[in-house]
Amino acid sequence: MTSITLENNDYKKEIKQKTAKPLLWIGLMSIVMFFAGLTSAVIVSKGTAVWETIQIPSAFAISTVFILLSSLTFYIGERSLKNNQLTKGKLFILATLLLGLLFTVTQYIAWTDLYKNGVVWAGSESSATGSYFYALTALHLLHLLGGLISLLVVNIKSIKEKYNTENLLGVQLSSTYWHFLTALWVYLYLFLIFIA
Amino acid sequence: MVALVAIVAVLLIVISAVQTLKIAELWAINKGKVIYEVTKKQNKTQALLMLVFLVAYFAFFAWQVWKWGDLMLPVSASEHGVVTDKLLNITYAFIIPVFIITHIFLFWFAYKYAHNPNRKAVFFSHSNKLELVWTIIPSIALTVLILFGLSSWNEIMTPVDSEKEHVLIEVQAQQFSWNARYAGNDGKLGRAGVEFIEGINAMGIDINDKNAKDDKVVRGEIHLPVGVPVQFVFRSIDVIHSAYMPHFRAQMNCVPGVKTQFNFVPTITTKEMKKITNNKDFNYILLCNKICGAAHYNMQMDIIVESKEDYEKWLAEQKQFAEN
Amino acid sequence: MSATHHHHEEQDFLFKYIFSQDHKMISKQFLITGFLMGFIGMVMSTLFRLQLGFPGESFWAIDFFLGSWAENGVMAPDKYLALVTMHGTIMVFFLLTAGLSGTFSNLLIPLQIGARDMASGFLNMLSYWFFFVSTIIMLISLGVEGGAASAGWTIYPPLSALPQAIPGSGLGMTLWLISMAIFIASSLLGSLNYIVTILNLRTKGMTMTRLPLTIWAFLVTAILGVLSFPVLLSAALLLIFDRSFGTSFYLSDIYIGGQVLEHSGGSPILFEHLFWFLGHPEVYIVLLPALGITSEIVSTMSRKPIFGYRAMVTSILAIAFLSVIVWGHHMFVTGMNPFLGAVFTFTTLLIAIPSAVKVFNYITTLWKGNIIFSPAMLFSIGLVSTFISGGVTGLILGDSALDINIHDTYFVVGHFHIVMGLSAIFGMFAGVYHWFPKMFGRMMNNTIGFFHFWITIVCAYGVFFPMHFLGLAGVPRRYYTNSEFPLFDNMLDINELITWFAIVAAFAQLLFVFNFFYSALRGPRASQNPWRANSLEWTAPVEHIHGNWPGEIPEVHRWAYDYSKVDENGDYVNGEDFISQVVPLGPNEKDGGH
Ligand code: HEM
Ligand SMILES: [Cu+2]
Ligand SMILES: [Cu+2]
Repeated sequence: MTSITLENNDYKKEIKQKTAKPLLWIGLMSIVMFFAGLTSAVIVSKGTAVWETIQIPSAFAISTVFILLSSLTFYIGERSLKNNQLTKGKLFILATLLLGLLFTVTQYIAWTDLYKNGVVWAGSESSATGSYFYALTALHLLHLLGGLISLLVVNIKSIKEKYNTENLLGVQLSSTYWHFLTALWVYLYLFLIFIA
Repeated sequence: MVALVAIVAVLLIVISAVQTLKIAELWAINKGKVIYEVTKKQNKTQALLMLVFLVAYFAFFAWQVWKWGDLMLPVSASEHGVVTDKLLNITYAFIIPVFIITHIFLFWFAYKYAHNPNRKAVFFSHSNKLELVWTIIPSIALTVLILFGLSSWNEIMTPVDSEKEHVLIEVQAQQFSWNARYAGNDGKLGRAGVEFIEGINAMGIDINDKNAKDDKVVRGEIHLPVGVPVQFVFRSIDVIHSAYMPHFRAQMNCVPGVKTQFNFVPTITTKEMKKITNNKDFNYILLCNKICGAAHYNMQMDIIVESKEDYEKWLAEQKQFAEN
Repeated sequence: MSATHHHHEEQDFLFKYIFSQDHKMISKQFLITGFLMGFIGMVMSTLFRLQLGFPGESFWAIDFFLGSWAENGVMAPDKYLALVTMHGTIMVFFLLTAGLSGTFSNLLIPLQIGARDMASGFLNMLSYWFFFVSTIIMLISLGVEGGAASAGWTIYPPLSALPQAIPGSGLGMTLWLISMAIFIASSLLGSLNYIVTILNLRTKGMTMTRLPLTIWAFLVTAILGVLSFPVLLSAALLLIFDRSFGTSFYLSDIYIGGQVLEHSGGSPILFEHLFWFLGHPEVYIVLLPALGITSEIVSTMSRKPIFGYRAMVTSILAIAFLSVIVWGHHMFVTGMNPFLGAVFTFTTLLIAIPSAVKVFNYITTLWKGNIIFSPAMLFSIGLVSTFISGGVTGLILGDSALDINIHDTYFVVGHFHIVMGLSAIFGMFAGVYHWFPKMFGRMMNNTIGFFHFWITIVCAYGVFFPMHFLGLAGVPRRYYTNSEFPLFDNMLDINELITWFAIVAAFAQLLFVFNFFYSALRGPRASQNPWRANSLEWTAPVEHIHGNWPGEIPEVHRWAYDYSKVDENGDYVNGEDFISQVVPLGPNEKDGGH
């Protein structure tokens, strides 16, 4: 009998260190495929359906700025924690969460603007173009919700000073996911401009 | 009561099976066997069964061809169908030998190389030459199939030249019937859409469209002139259907919101086909071949192919849309 | 150290059997659930075969199983469609995706690559429980108002979107979609774990080129799953929106029930594209694990290395790559652009090449072998036969010009049941017979296994081979009865024959069920390496322990196929006709097939 068994905590930790990131990356790949499916659906529909032109609400541009900023703050926050600058890290990670919330709010504002401009989600007045607008942004937001929850956890833990140079896995996972969401949003935003 | 008896019977069968098995195993252990090892005798039997199966499988195949061969579709009644059938036969000429030869090797080797403790298996783990051979041979055969297939496909899918003499028919599918209209003297189909469906105007033809006035709506059957290209346009007003005309080797989905097309030249009249099939009740049919609801299995329309004169006479009897 | 042992004995029942995170237990859970579903799917097929073989006749069995779906023992036409839909869904997704991959990926990945468990036991457990919940929802949908989903397993809208079109598209369809969404989550969680485990947790010496072919097959299957299931999810989601919120992604210009619907601008063809982008890779998700399993078994039982290991791996990769660019062959007659149709014909027929390579390699592996016909080996040989028999007709269906006339006929039903259904089922049976000692520590009974195999293969061909003839006679699939067409009156004999074979085939499966439970409870105890095989799982003890190996994980020194390897004198290297992967290479010995 050697000490390497599953009940051994060091062993468990080692496995986690080794596999958590690859698990996340492959998970992200499946999200990419999900949105690839949706956006290629848009392209197919554009070829067949009656296509409406839509005024893109400026709130979407603002939320783009927010989410880009949030990625920046997350990056700085993570680097600070890595250098054991715990206070700075705490602040920037908190800022990330707030920017994420602002993104959510501006998304909501953008939807109300869309609605005011007569773009409806469903029913006889709706068009495929409009429905795709709502569907794509809402599904992104749904994924962002997961990001916000993870950010919340990371915030609590960083306030409790659980993270430091050695122990950073949680932050790294959360930030990878967050940067991914940013990239996904930028892609969707450009795509929306292109289809509108 | 019946259920009770059945349950008891099943239980008894299971119990006795368990006991029999147990006894058989104890017996074998008593004789010093490792009971789960495949015995020499069993191995021999299985090897032999491989051969038996090979022969039986081929025999079954041959029996089916012999027994059911003439239930298959008769000669193609359309021009392109002859090409399709030829392509099918070429493909058969390729796949049936492949099927037979690989099966012979598979089961023959299995039989021949059954376990023999006095022999060693040959450690033969790869051979670039062999692997290359059986990559290249299928590739060549496939190239031939692909080239021939694609040229036929392009030919079949090319729409009828609208300048040439042809018949234009629109077929509309709905749960669970077919409607059809002929383009009339102007050779143009009038506008139609679901918003115009009302009463007897089941095809939703726009009364105000001038192209629609001379269109002829028919029900129950369509007539086609032999030897003249027929251009079909398909529509559906509810779910997806598929217009399948097996004798003409023709099929096209009917999709709500989209118009699809198919065309062919009928070459054999219904009368002639009755003779060919030796069946005086024979009729060409159009059937639905895409699951479309409860009565999907019964969605049909007769097709009558006749001489050009008969066709024109029939068409003249049909009412124009404006007359309704 | 010994304290750890103490630990597992105290594990309480709930965590050992129900919420287990141990891959071996999860594998058994997948197997049992999958087989249960498969059994239900089989009973359904027997029932609707009764209707097809004896249209309109009343049967006690139909009455007994279907109750209100079948007045006087004759099933209603729309319920026939519900049964066919459920049968297809259950067989493809629950039995042959989750049941097959879930069982063997879970059992074999850690054991064959030398890992103590999956990368994440927790996600693995979630994967099973998502699967379980999805099966329960699907079963519940059988009992709801309007009946289960009835639009075919491909659920094409508008039929699947409009309850007016068929009753099953009401609540039944909603539950179908929910169940599938959960199923997709399960499948993704499983795939993530399989991929990461294979890539990251291999034991020392286990290079990618030393992996058994099973593992290669599981890896590629999981990658296909990660790439294609999300697309099905997106398709299902848009369908849910159309059904429940009134959007028009797939719907347009519809007049039904005396009324014009509000939807406009959508395209049902879009759904078909999205569906088949998953749908075709799905058939390989079903098939590849079976091919991997049988590669392993054919080699072990022929006492010979698998022929052309590298070619086998390459062809798995080639098949997987091609499988994501052929989906259009299901849509040749949707009015697609003929040029696109030509492209899809080309890519589709290309798949024949790697498939042919696999077949030839299997056959060459048998050549000059020393074959032991265990039931697992019989099913493996059966798989090669079904893979050929069903594969060759793919050349007909994949050729767009020919597909026009047989698309959606019984020819298709015959083709896919043989090449996908039978092959995958045979692979699954082979796997169960072969790794039963690893799963349950006991052996299955060979004699019953022999009977099971021969009756099954004879009846299976008896069911599915004649279907090609029906198709060539123009008989469409998904027909409740063929009796409405005088044209098909002569086909009744064929349909009757098929039904008889189906009934016998179904009863023959009871042999397997009996053998399975008898052996699991009472069968003779297994030795550690009953098949005298090379791969790593047979170096683990028979009793299941958490962490798989009591001591260090063994190190690997060679590939898994050194069977009957001889030295210059013609004597077996190592004295026996197999050399475990953990045996170091001799001084003059080369690794792999060189
Ligand atoms: C017990 C043996 C089986 C029998 C007798 C059987 C019989 C049938 C028949 C007759 C149909 C066509 C019904 C129709 O189109 O009207 C059908 C459909 C189908 N079967 Fe099976 N089958 C069996 C096993 C399997 C297996 C193992 C699979 C796994 C791949 C499978 C997958 C399917 C699928 C996907 C469909 C299409 C469902 C649809 O049209 O939506 N079946 N089966
Ligand atoms: Cu129909
Ligand atoms: Cu396919």
